[in-house]
Amino acid sequence: MAQLAGFFIANLCGMVIVMLGIQFYNDVLPVFTQEDSFIKKDYIVVTKKVSTLGSIAGKSGTFSSYEVDDLKSQPFTVEVGAFQPAQFKVSAGISFGGMDLSTAMFLESVPDNFVDVKADAWRYTEGQKEIPIIIPRNYLNLYNFGFARSRNLPQLSEGMVGLVSLNLYLSGNGMRDVKKGRIVGFSNRLNTILVPEAFMRSANASYGGNKAWEPSRLIIEVDNPADERIAEYFSDNGYETEDNKLDAGKITWFLKLAVGVVMTVGLVISLLSFYILLLSIYLLLQKNTDKLENLILMGYSTQSVAKPYQILTVVMNFSVLLLSVIVLLFVREIYMDALSDIISAESEGNMMCACFCGVLLFVLVSVYNVIAIRKKINSIM
Amino acid sequence: MLKVDRIELDNLLPGVFSGREHIVSDVWCRKQVFEKGKSYLIEAASGTGKSSLCSFIYGYRKDYEGVIRFDGTDIRKMSGNEWTDVRKRNLGMMFQELRLFPELTAGENVILKNNLTHFRDEEQIRKWFSMLGIDDKWAEPVGKMSFGQQQRVAFVRMLCQPSDFLFMDEPVSHLDDANGNVMAKILEGEIRERGVGVIVTSIGRRLNINYNVEMKL
Repeated sequence: MAQLAGFFIANLCGMVIVMLGIQFYNDVLPVFTQEDSFIKKDYIVVTKKVSTLGSIAGKSGTFSSYEVDDLKSQPFTVEVGAFQPAQFKVSAGISFGGMDLSTAMFLESVPDNFVDVKADAWRYTEGQKEIPIIIPRNYLNLYNFGFARSRNLPQLSEGMVGLVSLNLYLSGNGMRDVKKGRIVGFSNRLNTILVPEAFMRSANASYGGNKAWEPSRLIIEVDNPADERIAEYFSDNGYETEDNKLDAGKITWFLKLAVGVVMTVGLVISLLSFYILLLSIYLLLQKNTDKLENLILMGYSTQSVAKPYQILTVVMNFSVLLLSVIVLLFVREIYMDALSDIISAESEGNMMCACFCGVLLFVLVSVYNVIAIRKKINSIM
Repeated sequence: MLKVDRIELDNLLPGVFSGREHIVSDVWCRKQVFEKGKSYLIEAASGTGKSSLCSFIYGYRKDYEGVIRFDGTDIRKMSGNEWTDVRKRNLGMMFQELRLFPELTAGENVILKNNLTHFRDEEQIRKWFSMLGIDDKWAEPVGKMSFGQQQRVAFVRMLCQPSDFLFMDEPVSHLDDANGNVMAKILEGEIRERGVGVIVTSIGRRLNINYNVEMKL
């Protein structure tokens, strides 16, 4: 009886730990991954790491077509777009009051569907006089809150910036040209100076000699930036992202790791406790060997002799399962209270998965016990 | 369902005797047949393998050479379930060591068997108890009874079975003649009415019935 009590407690611990691990994982995971929670379907800009050694050795840091295809084939990827760089020299200038100010700059383009500014002006047709430009919202902030204040210059609103017309000096491939440019929007997503892809293509063809190029930056649309496979894939390949969108992925990964460890411990405890149960049943059988032998010699079948012991184990296992579910309910109540303080969204998950695992464990172990007892009794005769 | 009308022993020899030469016996190392409806007495000195013979035929020991057949079926080839059936329907055994459950009462010990076979009613069982002079022991735990009383309980238990054969391993070793004769009377009635085969062993005291065959082990 002492062994059976020991089994009961040990098995209860193991079962509760396993089920709690699963349940906690299920309850907490949606905080990071749910579509309508604070992390949404998103875009990630990826570059290769710039290393000192790589710079000296003259490594390009661009993505080959193979690498792009591999990225496209990843399960977390929805779409991949390449940043197309200008293959010609650009300088931009403003003329006001008869004075020309100009500066060397660069242009890039991405496929239009990645642009987060929906402006009607974001269009280019061949021969169009004015080139629409999108700059990062950061640049304007940099000017307004940094540069302008320190130099006593006026702050500019987005609307005012849109009124200014820029002169773009394009040169390369033995050609020089001046085009008008106008800032039509500000992007939070894309940290570069953008022109429409159609313009970039034709400009590269005429001023850049249409050389082959490889992108050094990619923009990826992902379902779920909290997917830890993204962080894993990036670190495996030495890719970097510009922002911390992948942190959730790392957290998810650590959560999985922690839950995995906890569940393994629970499983080990469970297995050990099942072993105790089996040993105590064996002991019980051993103690009663004579009686069992007599029953069998009287004409009782081994099935009917084994039945009470089998019922005993199954009832024990089942009561452990029931108790585990009750304990799980209690514990879950406690941590869900704490959890609901952190997440505003009501994510009332259910306990199906944990219970299913508990039942599975119960069935597996019970079947094993029943067979083991049967074998043991058969071995008596 | 198996029927046991004949038990054939074919060159049977206990494993512990193997290699021994000059075995003089009516049973070992020869062909011997027990037939249903007849009664056999096997007389033996201690250590000649009397209880071994019972355990071989009852299927709980297999350390023998030669073949035992129930109506032509080699009993080594019988499955666990077939043995269960045989022990429930065909063979009744009164073990030398009786194999009663000491913590159960005399009545419970017999009922335990009868619940399996549903062969007798309680009235009949109680009648046998009183014939054998142990009706006052019905509700007493077997562990507190003398061996002679226990032998009578085991005898009644054996009768609660629709048998082809009844084996009795020294059934009257601890009984007085009066009770032995009652037992013999009941048994002769069984042979007459049910046509069972009876095999009795003895090392000295013998159960007094008219044996068809007497042999020495």
